[in-house]
Amino acid sequence: MICVAIFAVVAAVIAYSIWKFRAPPDDESDGPPIHGHTGLEITWTAIPTALVVAIAIVSAIVLAKNGDAGSNPLHVDVTAQQFAWSFSYPGHANLTSGDLRLPLGRKVELKLRSLDVIHSFWVPEFGQKQDTVPGLTTKLVITPDRVGTYPVICTELCGLGHAVMRTSAIVMPAAAFEAWVNKQGKALAGPAGQAGKTVFVNNGCNSCHTLKAAGATAKIGPDLDKLPAEAKGAGKPLDAFVHESIVNPNAYVAPGFPKNVMPQTFSQLPKSQLDALVRYLVSSSRSGR
Amino acid sequence: MTTVTHEHEHVDEHAAPPAPTGWRRLTAPGWLRVPWMIVVFFGIGAGITVLVRWLEGWHPIWKGSIITTVELTTVPLGFLAGIGTFDYWVRYATGAPTAPEDHSGHGARSWRDYFRVNTDHKVIGVQYLVTTIFFFLAAGMLAMFVRAELAKPGMQFFDNQTYNGLFSVHASLMIFLFVIPAFAGLANFVVPLMLGAPDMAFPRLNALSYWLLPMAGFMMLGSFLVPGGAFATGWTSYAPLAVHQPLGQVFFNMGVQWAGASSIMTALNFLVTIITMRAPGMTFWRMPLLVWANFTTSLLVVIATPFIAGSQFFVMFDRVMHTHFFDPGHGGYPLAYQHIFWFYSHPAVYIMMLPGFGIASEVISVMSRKPIFGYRLMALSLLAILVLGFSVWAHHMFVSGMAPWLRVPMMATTLLIAVPTGIKVFSWLATMWEGRINFSTPMLFAVGFVSMFVIGGLSGIYLGAVPIDIHVSDTAFVVAHIHYVLFGGSLFTIFAGIYYWFPKMTGRMYNERLGKLHFWLTFVGFNLTFFPMHLIGVQGMPRRVADYAPRFADWNLFISIASFGLGASTVVFLYNMIWSWRFGPPAGGNPWRALTLEWQVTSPPPIFNFDEIPQVVGSPYEYGVPGARHAVLNGDRAEVGELEEVRRT
Repeated sequence: MICVAIFAVVAAVIAYSIWKFRAPPDDESDGPPIHGHTGLEITWTAIPTALVVAIAIVSAIVLAKNGDAGSNPLHVDVTAQQFAWSFSYPGHANLTSGDLRLPLGRKVELKLRSLDVIHSFWVPEFGQKQDTVPGLTTKLVITPDRVGTYPVICTELCGLGHAVMRTSAIVMPAAAFEAWVNKQGKALAGPAGQAGKTVFVNNGCNSCHTLKAAGATAKIGPDLDKLPAEAKGAGKPLDAFVHESIVNPNAYVAPGFPKNVMPQTFSQLPKSQLDALVRYLVSSSRSGR
Repeated sequence: MTTVTHEHEHVDEHAAPPAPTGWRRLTAPGWLRVPWMIVVFFGIGAGITVLVRWLEGWHPIWKGSIITTVELTTVPLGFLAGIGTFDYWVRYATGAPTAPEDHSGHGARSWRDYFRVNTDHKVIGVQYLVTTIFFFLAAGMLAMFVRAELAKPGMQFFDNQTYNGLFSVHASLMIFLFVIPAFAGLANFVVPLMLGAPDMAFPRLNALSYWLLPMAGFMMLGSFLVPGGAFATGWTSYAPLAVHQPLGQVFFNMGVQWAGASSIMTALNFLVTIITMRAPGMTFWRMPLLVWANFTTSLLVVIATPFIAGSQFFVMFDRVMHTHFFDPGHGGYPLAYQHIFWFYSHPAVYIMMLPGFGIASEVISVMSRKPIFGYRLMALSLLAILVLGFSVWAHHMFVSGMAPWLRVPMMATTLLIAVPTGIKVFSWLATMWEGRINFSTPMLFAVGFVSMFVIGGLSGIYLGAVPIDIHVSDTAFVVAHIHYVLFGGSLFTIFAGIYYWFPKMTGRMYNERLGKLHFWLTFVGFNLTFFPMHLIGVQGMPRRVADYAPRFADWNLFISIASFGLGASTVVFLYNMIWSWRFGPPAGGNPWRALTLEWQVTSPPPIFNFDEIPQVVGSPYEYGVPGARHAVLNGDRAEVGELEEVRRT
């Protein structure tokens, strides 16, 4: 409001000057030689000073409030990497998910880490943003107060897939959240196909790759429905090829795609999840052919 | 100071040095020496690299990416050696007899003199301006490509890496090859004249700092041609992302070095010129505000620019020499890059703005026919911005994960900068008040600048307040803000300065109707393009993305169409400049009836500016004061004494 008022004053003075003090084309006279006015100069130094000090104080108070996580927040570990988000819930047996599910009305403390370069976590509707920095753990406190699905956007340029490094933040009623937690736990422990798909989605593979079986359509990386053909190109059996491409992606790079884009961090997946993922990719790419 | 003797009164006798003939044409400084010198220096660069790799047993011995990196240093040196920027110094350093100064490399007698090493500050000023306008057009084209891609959600014309390259090169060229050096070019032409000096303090250094610029520019543009495409990490080029990018990234790292070296040399030259070469009677409190502005800007450049040079070297070392400045896995600290980078790049915002403040002050005072309101406070507020400008860098890092306690102090200093800036805006308004305002093109751009800059400044207050910044940081809101500051601020004042001094530089008047048309097209197109970005930024449109959510489609299409109109307005400007340079009506020495010294000589000024060093006797802005004078040129000394008496009483 103050800003609009200041702009209005400036614009009004300019408009008035243009209208009132425009010299006729043949007027060669000079204006009155006013060199300054100490009172005026003090005024327009003092008033803005007071204004900005007030803004600074209010902002500092709001900032302190925003950072307060309260006594019993829900903890979520956020992991960013090129070009995917994953979320895990240390309070729920380290359950991981590719989208951020939050119960309504409870304060959430996000701990953010990055596995490669700097990313930034932003949900526009939450009005909060925090960079994720390799080597540091940064924090963000949010209180979701409306049920709905909101975009999670990476806002720090992180490479060629930056524009598509997105997922969803889903705010759900507390009961629905508990139900989802239980279901996710079972899915990972379930039969191979289901577990593999969960690993695929939870680790954000779908943000770069196409795979019909998982409903993934992204085009940053190679199309995974064509894995058998690629394996032939690399001269390796399909399952060995898939395993190697996950843990050591630069060993064979599909023609037309640059090196060093696929993160090398998936080699750190727990062995059970890695095996489930390989089996899932092998079977769904074979059937998709 | 009684008389000033001139060793160069017979300039014309030296006008045509004997042109070299035969073999000597290949060894004399100039364009014929450039190609083979480049080959020699390429050989030196490749030779050193191969030798080191062979001695160390690193395979392959011939590695293209490493050789390219080294050549980005040696090939430009070859060009500079070929064109002749080092000749005098090499002779001096090796003890060979230096060529006696015959002034053959000074001043322009034909258009050819603009295409060789020239030590005349006026020629260099024009070289700067023409070169920077070329890069302005190139960078503008890249912006058009960016807007074409953004006209619709989804991918249209480019892939992601190319798109990231487009906006990165756009921003880098606009900042390092247009705004900063365009101001340096205007100041190069004007400042020595305003001071009553015959040239800059170090004319050969001045020539070198110009010739470094095209190196940097073509390096950045050329990065589109290397495997992997242009550098694609934005003009901010954050580590550790930049460390692992394709080869094009090195073209940014090194391009910044050449442009930065150019800026530092020019700034040193300005500082020495302003401190030591003021005409008698030109005290600091009698200097025009443009000179004050360039004085403070030069201090900023000299103190801050080495920091960006360092940050880019660190990134390159991490890449080429496997150091770990920014690699947390080996004890590096990624945020260090941002601290070093912004310690330059925030003051750089003022490097890109203070000279514009100077131009606005000159134009508004002359065109309103009134003295600058509160001259001393205007100069002091420049110094206040200089000091405060070094204490706010971390406001670019509110969401970066830096030490949380830094946020509030940096917010306070950031907001405080609004105070000296506000003083300047109010003083310009007060200068216009009750004036006899002539709304010529430079004045339109100056007033347009004041109004647009206020919007940019106010959105800056929003960004300065941490809680709001956390929401809009890295969104289209920031894009809107920086364009209101750098386009509505810097570019408008550059246009004001070009139109204002065009008659002085060329001796001819530009076409006023086309000038006004250019202003209105730019002003309207600019606001239609950038104002909506505030809105979509707050709603959740990030920056630096080729693809975006469908709900922003309508506004983006609108913005793209407006931006094409804005791009087209440049054609009017170019046509006006080129046509008027050749066919414009003669302008006369002082078409604006201004008091500052550059307008007291012919247009274009004589090769050594003044027949006799002027005697300054008063303020440069005494419009409407009966009998007041700024300086006496070629006058008798009695008159000077009298005027000094008048001032004291």
